[in-house]
Amino acid sequence: MATLAPGVKTGPYHAVLDHIHPEPTGFIRKYIFSIDAKVIGIQYMITGGLFFLIAGLLAEIIRAQLLTPNGAVVTAATYNSIYSMHGSAMVWMVVIPLVTGGFGNFVMPLQIGARDVAFPWLNLAAFWMFPVAGVILFSSFLFGAPDAGWTEYPPVSLQGPPGTSMWCVAIFLIGISSTLTGINFMVTIFKMRAPGMTLTRMPLFVWGQFATAALMFIATTALAGALLALFLERTFGVPFYDPKHGGSPLLWQHMFWFYSHPAVYIMILPVFGIISEVLPTFSRKPIFGYKMIAFSTVAIALLGFSVWAHHMFTSGMVPWLQLPFMIITMVIAIPTGVKIFSWMATLWGGSIHWTTPMLFATGFLITFTCGGLTGFFLAAVPLDYHEHGTYFVVAHLHYVLYGGSMMGLFAGLYYWWPKMTGRMYNEVLGYWHFWLSFVAFNGTFMPMHWLGLMGMPRRVATYDPQFQFWNVFASISAFVLAASMLICIYNLGMSLRRGKLAGPNPWGARTLEWMISSPPPYYNYKRIPAVLAAPYDFGNPLPYIGLDAAPGAEEAAAISESHPVPTY
Amino acid sequence: MSVSIANPGHGVGGGHDDAHDEVIYHETRDMRLLGFVLFLCSDVILFSSFIFAYIYLRTTVAPTWPPLVGGHQLPRLDTAFATVNSVVLFGSGVTMHYALENFKHANLRRFNWFMGFTVVLGTMFLCGQGYEYAHAQIGGWSGNIFGASFFTLTGMHGFHVFCGVIFLLILWWQTTRGVYDQQHYFGLTAGTLYWHFVDVIWVALFFLFYLW
Repeated sequence: MATLAPGVKTGPYHAVLDHIHPEPTGFIRKYIFSIDAKVIGIQYMITGGLFFLIAGLLAEIIRAQLLTPNGAVVTAATYNSIYSMHGSAMVWMVVIPLVTGGFGNFVMPLQIGARDVAFPWLNLAAFWMFPVAGVILFSSFLFGAPDAGWTEYPPVSLQGPPGTSMWCVAIFLIGISSTLTGINFMVTIFKMRAPGMTLTRMPLFVWGQFATAALMFIATTALAGALLALFLERTFGVPFYDPKHGGSPLLWQHMFWFYSHPAVYIMILPVFGIISEVLPTFSRKPIFGYKMIAFSTVAIALLGFSVWAHHMFTSGMVPWLQLPFMIITMVIAIPTGVKIFSWMATLWGGSIHWTTPMLFATGFLITFTCGGLTGFFLAAVPLDYHEHGTYFVVAHLHYVLYGGSMMGLFAGLYYWWPKMTGRMYNEVLGYWHFWLSFVAFNGTFMPMHWLGLMGMPRRVATYDPQFQFWNVFASISAFVLAASMLICIYNLGMSLRRGKLAGPNPWGARTLEWMISSPPPYYNYKRIPAVLAAPYDFGNPLPYIGLDAAPGAEEAAAISESHPVPTY
Repeated sequence: MSVSIANPGHGVGGGHDDAHDEVIYHETRDMRLLGFVLFLCSDVILFSSFIFAYIYLRTTVAPTWPPLVGGHQLPRLDTAFATVNSVVLFGSGVTMHYALENFKHANLRRFNWFMGFTVVLGTMFLCGQGYEYAHAQIGGWSGNIFGASFFTLTGMHGFHVFCGVIFLLILWWQTTRGVYDQQHYFGLTAGTLYWHFVDVIWVALFFLFYLW
C-alpha cells in the first residue's frame, strides 16, 4: 500500500498503525481508567513505587531485628511474616510489574513506533488487577500474614495463618495480570512495529520485552495451577501436597519453581534491555554485538525453563537429575556472559558521559556480575549442599535482584524521566543517590556472603552472637540505603515542580521515542515513521524517515503521498 | 468495526473510507486471532501443571494405583461410560466445524442446525460428567490424591466446557442479530478454536484417567 524508499522493507501493517482512539477529556478517563499505554505505564510505576516503599520498610524492620543476636523488635512469629511479605511483595508487586507493566508500557510502544499496545482495554484490565492484588496481599497482615517465606513451601504453608490463602489469591490475580500483559506485548511486538522495523532493527529494550512476554504468558499459568492447588488444599482439604493424605510437598516445589525460575528472567531480561539502551547512548558508540545480545536474550529465556530443580538440590530429589540441572544452570552463564562482555566492549573507547543513568548502568554491570558469579557457585551441587538455606543465598539473590533489577530500574527511571515528565532532574542529587545506594547496597549484602559461608541460616529471628559484627554492619548499611531513597524521592519531586525543561532529546539518544516531544503527545507520532536500520549507529544520520524532527523530512513528504498520514 | 479512525490521509474531515475500514478490520482480526491463540496456549499450561501434578503423584508418591484408602484399593473409573461421553464431546467438535463452514458459505439454515447440535452435545457432555461425578467410587474430591486430581482436572475442564457453551450461545445470538457476515466472522472463528481446544484437552484427560 505504501510506496517506501528503495531498500525499506515494510512492516506487516499500515492502516492499523494509524488507528487512533479518540483522546479522552475527563479526568477519570484520562488519568484513572486510561487506555493509553503511556498513562498505564506511569500508573504501574506509581503503584509499584508505593509497594516498593512498603516492602522496603519491611526490610528495614528485618534489619532492625537483626541488630542484636536476640533481637526483640518483633516476635519470632511476626518476623516470619515480615520476611515472607517482604519477599513476596518485592518479587510480585514491585519488580515484575515495574519492569514489564511499567517500563514496558511506557517505552515499548514508543520504541516500535506504535500509537498504543495491541489491546488497550486488556491493558487497562491488567493494570487494575495489580493494585487490587497488592491491597489483598498487604491486608493479609490484618488476618495473620503468610509466614513460610516467599516460596510458601508446604506443609508449613498448609498450616499457615489465614493470610496465606489471601497470599494465594493476590499472587493468582497478579499472575493473571502478568499473563494478559504478556499476550498483549507479544501481539504488539509481532504486529505493530513501524514499517521497516524488522526484528533485527528493534531496539534491544524491545527484544527484552519480547522474550519476557513469552515467559509471562507461558510460565505464569503454571504458577496459577500451583496456587490454585494450594488454595484448594488449604480451603477444602483437597490433598495435593500434604503427605498425611498421600500428597507430596516436593510437588509444590516442582510446580512453584517451574514458574519462579523463569520469573527471575522476567525480572531481569527487560532490565538487560534498559542497560542496552543506556550504555550506547552515554558511550556515544554503537552497541557491541547487537545480534548476540538479542539472541542471547532469547537463549536465556528458553534455557530458563529447564533449570528449575537447581532450587531443590537439598530437597530430596532424585540424585541422577542433579547433574543435568547443574550443567544446564551453568550453561546459562554463557549467554549472560555474552551480554556482559558485549556491554563492556560497548564502553571500550567510548566517549563516556557520566550521567546518573550511566552511573546506575555501570553499577549494574559490577553488582550483577557479582550476583551472577555467586549464582554459578550455587549451581554446583556440592557447594549448594553447603550454602543452601544460608545467608549466602540471601546475598546472591539480592545481588541479582537489587544489584541487577533495581539498579537497572533506577537507570531506566532516570533515563526516561525527562521523556515521561518533560523535565530534568538534578544531576548532583542523582550522583548522591547513586553513590550512597551503591556503597550502602554493597555494605548491606556483601557481608551476607561471609555470614552464609560461616553458616548463618536465613529466615531466623535470632542468631549466634559470633555473627553479630557483620549483621550490625549490614543493618547500618541498610538504613543508609533507605535514606538514599529519600534523596531520589526528593529529587524527582523537585524535578516535577521546577525541573528544567528537557526538550525532546536531552541525551542525544537515537531510539524512536526521543524523536518526539517530551512528554509525548497522546497519539505518540504525528506520522508513523519508516525505519531504515537499527538505532545504535552513532555518527551516522538517524535511520528514520517520515518524522517531522528527523532528517529526511523532505524525503518523507514524498512517501506521505501514498502512505496514509494523519494530520491533526 | 465501531472504531473511530483518524485517517485524514483517506478522508479529510473525518470522512471514513469503506475500503480503508476493511483493511483495518482484517489487520485487527489477525491481531486478535494471535492474541486468542496465545491465550489458549497459556490455558494449556494451566492444565499441564495439574496434569504434571497427577502424573507426579501417581508415579512417584503412590505405592499402588488406584491408591489404597483404609487398606482397600479404590476401583478404576468407568471407562465404558466415559468413552460414550467422550464421543459426545468429540461429536460436538465435528458439528462446530460444520457450523462454521456453513456460516462461511452463507447456509444459515444449516448453520443454525449445527450450532444447535453443538450446544446440545456440549450440554449432554456436562450432564454425563455430572452423572459420572455422582457414581465415581473414588472417595470424593478431598478424600485422596486420586479424587483430588480427577475432580480438579475434570472439574476445570468441565468449567471450560460450560464457559464454551455460554460462549457459543452468545455467538449464536450475535449471529441472529447480524453481527457477523461472510467476510467478518472473527467471533465464530474464536469460538470454534476454543471449542476444539476444549476437545483436545479432553483427549489428554481421557487417556490419563481412563486408559492409563
